[in-house]
Amino acid sequence: MKKRIGKSRLGKPSIISEISFYLILGMFCAACIIPFIFVVIISFSSESSIREIGYSFSPQEWSASAYEYVFQLGDQLWRSYFNSFFVTIVGTASSLLMTIMYSYALFRKDFKFRNFFTFFAFFTTLFGGGLAPTFMVCKQLLHLSNNYAALIVPALISPFNIIIMRTFFTTSIPEELIEAASIDGSGEYKTLFKIIIPIAKPGIATVGLLTALSYWSEWFLAMLYIKDSKYIPLQYLLMKMQNQADFLFKNASVIGVEASKMLRDLPSASLRMALVVFIVVPIAFAYPFFQRYIISGLTIGSVKG
Amino acid sequence: MKKILALLLVACMIIGTLTACSKDSTSGGQGNGGSASAATNGRPEDHVTLKMYFHGSNVSDDTQVLAKVNEYLDEKLNVTLEPIWGTWGDFDNNAVLAINGGDDVDIYFTCSWSADEYNLFAKRGAWVRLDNPENNLLEKYGKDVWSLLPEVLTNGAKIEGSDGFGVYAVPGYKDIACQLCWDINVPLLEKYGYTVDDIKNTDYYGFGEILAKVKAGEGENFFPLLIEGAVAERMVDNSIIVAGDSGATNLLSYYINPVKTSDKGAYGDVILNKFATDEYKKYVTKTREYYLAGYIDPGLANAEQANNLRSEKQLTGQYLIGTQSYSLGYETQASAERGFEVAFVGTTPAYVDTTSSQGAMMAISTASKNPERAMMFLNLLNTDPYLFTLLDYGVEGIHYTKNDIGEVEFIEDARAKYSPWTNGMGNVTLLPPQKGQGADFWTKFKAYYGAADQIPILGFTFNSDNVSNELAAVANAAAEYALTLSVGAVDPETVLPAFLKKLDDNGMQKIVDEANAQLKNFLANK
Amino acid sequence: MAYRLGRKKKSSKRLIKKNVILLTMVLPTTIWLILLRYLPMFGITIAFKDYKIYTKAPGLINNVIHSKWVGFDNFKFLFATTDSLKMIRNTVGYNLLWIFLGLVISVAFAIILNEITNKFVAKTYQTLMFFPYFISWVVVSYFVMALLDPTSGLIVKWQMSQYGEATNWYHTSKPWPIILTLANLWKNTGYSCILYLTAITGIDKTQYEAASIDGATRWQRIKYVTLPNLRTMIAILLIMNISKIFNSDFGLFWNVPLASGSILDVTQTIDTYVYRALSATGGNLGMTTAAGVFQNVVGFVCMLIANSVVKRIDADSSLF
Repeated sequence: MKKRIGKSRLGKPSIISEISFYLILGMFCAACIIPFIFVVIISFSSESSIREIGYSFSPQEWSASAYEYVFQLGDQLWRSYFNSFFVTIVGTASSLLMTIMYSYALFRKDFKFRNFFTFFAFFTTLFGGGLAPTFMVCKQLLHLSNNYAALIVPALISPFNIIIMRTFFTTSIPEELIEAASIDGSGEYKTLFKIIIPIAKPGIATVGLLTALSYWSEWFLAMLYIKDSKYIPLQYLLMKMQNQADFLFKNASVIGVEASKMLRDLPSASLRMALVVFIVVPIAFAYPFFQRYIISGLTIGSVKG
Repeated sequence: MKKILALLLVACMIIGTLTACSKDSTSGGQGNGGSASAATNGRPEDHVTLKMYFHGSNVSDDTQVLAKVNEYLDEKLNVTLEPIWGTWGDFDNNAVLAINGGDDVDIYFTCSWSADEYNLFAKRGAWVRLDNPENNLLEKYGKDVWSLLPEVLTNGAKIEGSDGFGVYAVPGYKDIACQLCWDINVPLLEKYGYTVDDIKNTDYYGFGEILAKVKAGEGENFFPLLIEGAVAERMVDNSIIVAGDSGATNLLSYYINPVKTSDKGAYGDVILNKFATDEYKKYVTKTREYYLAGYIDPGLANAEQANNLRSEKQLTGQYLIGTQSYSLGYETQASAERGFEVAFVGTTPAYVDTTSSQGAMMAISTASKNPERAMMFLNLLNTDPYLFTLLDYGVEGIHYTKNDIGEVEFIEDARAKYSPWTNGMGNVTLLPPQKGQGADFWTKFKAYYGAADQIPILGFTFNSDNVSNELAAVANAAAEYALTLSVGAVDPETVLPAFLKKLDDNGMQKIVDEANAQLKNFLANK
Repeated sequence: MAYRLGRKKKSSKRLIKKNVILLTMVLPTTIWLILLRYLPMFGITIAFKDYKIYTKAPGLINNVIHSKWVGFDNFKFLFATTDSLKMIRNTVGYNLLWIFLGLVISVAFAIILNEITNKFVAKTYQTLMFFPYFISWVVVSYFVMALLDPTSGLIVKWQMSQYGEATNWYHTSKPWPIILTLANLWKNTGYSCILYLTAITGIDKTQYEAASIDGATRWQRIKYVTLPNLRTMIAILLIMNISKIFNSDFGLFWNVPLASGSILDVTQTIDTYVYRALSATGGNLGMTTAAGVFQNVVGFVCMLIANSVVKRIDADSSLF
C-alpha cells in the first residue's frame, strides 16, 4: 500500500518537466560554484602571474606558495582553526537553546505575553543604539574583551532566527499535540524537549545551520574585542590581512614610502584566496550534518506519502 | 500602542540606571585624577601603567622587548607601558570607538590623515591640551622634546581645539616635508634613447613625444603613464591639499609657488574650488589627450581598482612615468624592491605644509588618568635613543645586530614577530641607521628636511563644521566625476561643465567662502 | 455552583502557572536583549546631539549627556544633495525588485528541489547553492573584474575579437541594474531557498496523500498543497525584508562596481552616500547615528503597514 501510493505521489513525472528541473537548478548551481573554482585557481596562481595579467582563470604560472605560506603560520593557523570551531560549536549550541525556548513560548497561543515578546525581539532588528554604544556596553559593562565570550555572547540571539523558528513551529506542529501533551500531564519543559523538538528537527537544523554559518564567518566581533592573538578566529586572520592591504593601498600617498615596503611584505592576493579555501572547506564538510535533517525530512515524506 | 508604551518604559528605566552609573563614574574619575601625584624631578613615587595605542604594527611577540622597556621605564619614571598594537586596517574602527567611548587608553597615535584625525578630535575634546596655561604639561615635563623638534613641527602642531589655540599632541620627527615626484622607470626610458634629464627639462605637457615612442614600441597592452589622478593634478598644477578638506576627493586647492615654496603662488593666499580653475581645465584636457592615445590604463579610472593596479604595475615595472610622494633615500629602496633602476624627478622643491607637519603625532587622551606621567613618558621616548631604539627595533642581539659602522641589520625571524611602524612611534632620528643608509644618514636627513621651506599657510586647517551638509553633498558629487576626469577617462568638453554645475547646485561656493573666511582669520592672527 | 467556581479557580491557577513557566523560557533571551540591544539604545539620542567628548570625565554616557541638543541638524546632510531622490529611488527600487524576484525564485527553487526525485542530486544542488554565502563581495568584485576589466576582462576580450570594440563596463550605467540584480540573487537565493525548503518538509504528509488519491497532477499538488502551506513563511520573510527597505548591502553597491563614479546614477544608495559623506566630513558620530535612525524609522513604518496588510489577508501569517 505504502509503496503504491509512494509511486503515485511521484506520479508519472513528465520527462520535460523533470529535465527542465535538473537543468534550471544545475545552471544556477554552476553559477554558484564557478566563482569558488576561480578562487581556487587564483590561490594556486603565482604572484608574478597575478601582477602581470591580473585575476585570471588561466594564470601564466602555477604555484603552491600561498599554501606553503599558510602552513608556515603554523601554530597560529591551528590555534585559529580551533578558535573558530570552538566558537562555532559552543555559540551555535547556546544560541539554539535560547532561540528554541524563546520561539516556543512565542508559538504558544495560550502564552499571554506572546505579542509583547514577539515585538520585544523584533523591535531590536529595527532600532539599535549603533556601534559605539553597543561596543561600550559589551566592553566596559560586560567585560567582553580578549576572551571567548566576546566572540560568542554578542551574536547569541538573532531576532530573525527567532521569528523563523516560530514560523517553523506554527507551520509544522499541530496545536492539538500540545493540548494532548498538557492533558497527559506533561510539564512545559518536558513537552518542549520530548515532543516538540523531535518533530521540529528540520526547522531546528535549518536555524542551527544558519547560526553556525554566521558564527563561522564572523570576523567583526574579533576585530572589535580581540587583541590577543590567542583568541583570533580564522576569519579574522584573513580579514586582518585584507584590511591591512586595503588601508595601505588607500593611504600609500600619505604614509609615504614606507607603505610600499609594507605592501610588499604583506601576503599576496593568492594567499588571500588560499585563506578563503581554508575557510570554506571545513564548513562544506560540516554542511551534510545539518542537511541530513533537512533533506531527510523530504525523503521520509515521499516514502511515507 | 501598549507595547510601544511598555518599551518606552523599559527604555526610560534603562536610561535612568545608566545615568546613575555614569554619575558614579564621574566622581570616580575625578577621584583618581586627583590622587595621581607627580613629582617634577626624579622618579615619581607612585607606580602607573600607561596604555598606548600604536598604528600599523605587525607584532605577535613583544615579551622580550617589553621586559626590557618596562625595566627601564620603571627605573626612570616608575611606569609600566602597555602597548596596544593596532594594525592598519582595524585602526579606523577601534581607535575611534575607544576615543568616543572614553576607554582607558592614555596615549593615541594621531595625525592629519588617520581616522582619529588630529584637528577634528582636538576640537571634539579627545586630546589634552599640552600647553594649557592652567596646567602646562609641555612646560613642566616636555621641555626636552620640545626644544629638540624643528620649528616647523612645533608650529604645525598648534591648532584650534576644545581648550583654545594650542598644542594637542607631540609631533613625531619623521619625513616632515612633502615632495611629489615623477617616478621614472630608467631602463625603459634609456631603451628608447632618452635620459632622466629629458624628463627634468620638460613638464607634463611635454611628455607626449616620449610617451608616444614608448607606447609604439611596447605595444597595445602597455600603458606608459601610470598616474594617481589626484596626485598628478596637484603636481602639474602646483596645488596642495588644504588640511581639513574632504577625505577621499579633495575639493579645495591652494596654489604654491613651484620655485620657492615659501613665497606666494599664482593666486596668492586664496583657497579655490579646485575644479573651476583654468589650470584644472588645462590639465584634464591634456590628460584626456593622453588617455585617448592609450598612454593611461583605463583601470585607473575605477576608484576601488586604481590603487591596487598602480602598486602592482609599479612593482613589476609596467610603466614609464608614474607619480610618487618622495622621502629621502627612496630611490635606493625602490630600486632594490622593484629590481630595476628607479629615478625620481620632483616638480617642486620639498616643502612643509600642514598635512605633512602633522604626519605622525602622539596625543594624550582626555580619558587618561595620568596625563602628567604620559607627558613624561612621551618626553623620554622622543629624546632617549636607548628607549626609542628598543621599542622600535627590538632588542639588540635578538631582533637586530649592528655592523662595524653602526648600521642595523635585522634578524629576519625575530623581526617578523616584532615590527612596529617606525614612523608612527615618534622621533626616528634617534635610531641608528639601517643597513645601506650609511653612518651619516641622519645628518643628511636633517639637512634635507631642515632645508625644506614652509608654505605661507602652514598650520592652517579648514574647519568644515559650519558647512558639513554642503561638504557631504559636494563630496558625493565629486566622487561621480573627479577621478574619471583626472585620468582622462571622460571627455572634459562635456563632463567638466556638468560637474561644475553640480558642484554649484550642491553648495560648493559656500564651502569655498567659508574656507577663505577662515584663512583670512588665520593669517590675521598669525 | 461551588464546584464550578472551584474548577475555574483551579484552571486559572494552572493558566498562571503555565504562563510563569513560559516566562522562564523567554527569560534568558530577554536578558540578552535588554543588555545587548535595549541598553545601547540610549545611543539613539546621539542623532539629535552635537557629539563632543566631555573632557572632565570622558565616557560615552557622560559625553552624550553633556553634548548639546541640536534637533534634526544631523539629519540635514541626507537631504542636502540634489541627488536625494535618486539615491532613495535606487535603494527602494532595488529592494522592491529583489524582494519580488528573490521570493519567486527561492520558492520556485525550493519546490523544484522538493520535486527532484534523486535525493543525491538534490543534496548536491542544495550544498552548492550555499557557496556564494562564503564569498565576500570583495572576492566577488575580483571575479566580476576578471570578466569586465577594461583591458584583460574575458568578456571585453571576447567583444574585442567579435566586434573590434568593447563596452567600457565600469563607465556604462545601463548594464549595472542587471549585474547588481544577478549578483544579489546569486548570493542570497541559497539562503532563503533553504528556509522555504524546510517549511515544505513541515507540511503534513496526509495532505499530499489526499491530493494523490484525488488524482491531482504534480502541478495541481504544488498549487493546492505546497504553495498554500508556504504562505506563512512567505509573509514573514516579506515583512522582514520590507522593514529593511531603506537599507542596502554596502559591499554589493561599493565593491562590485569598484566604486566607479560614472555609474553612480544607478549604484548610489543611501548607504554609499552616507559612507562618502561621512568620510568627507570626518566621521561625525551624530551624523552616523542619524543616518541609521532615519533608515530604521522609515523601515519601521513600512513594516507596520506590511504587517497590518498581511493581518487583514491572513491573520495567522502576520508577525504580531
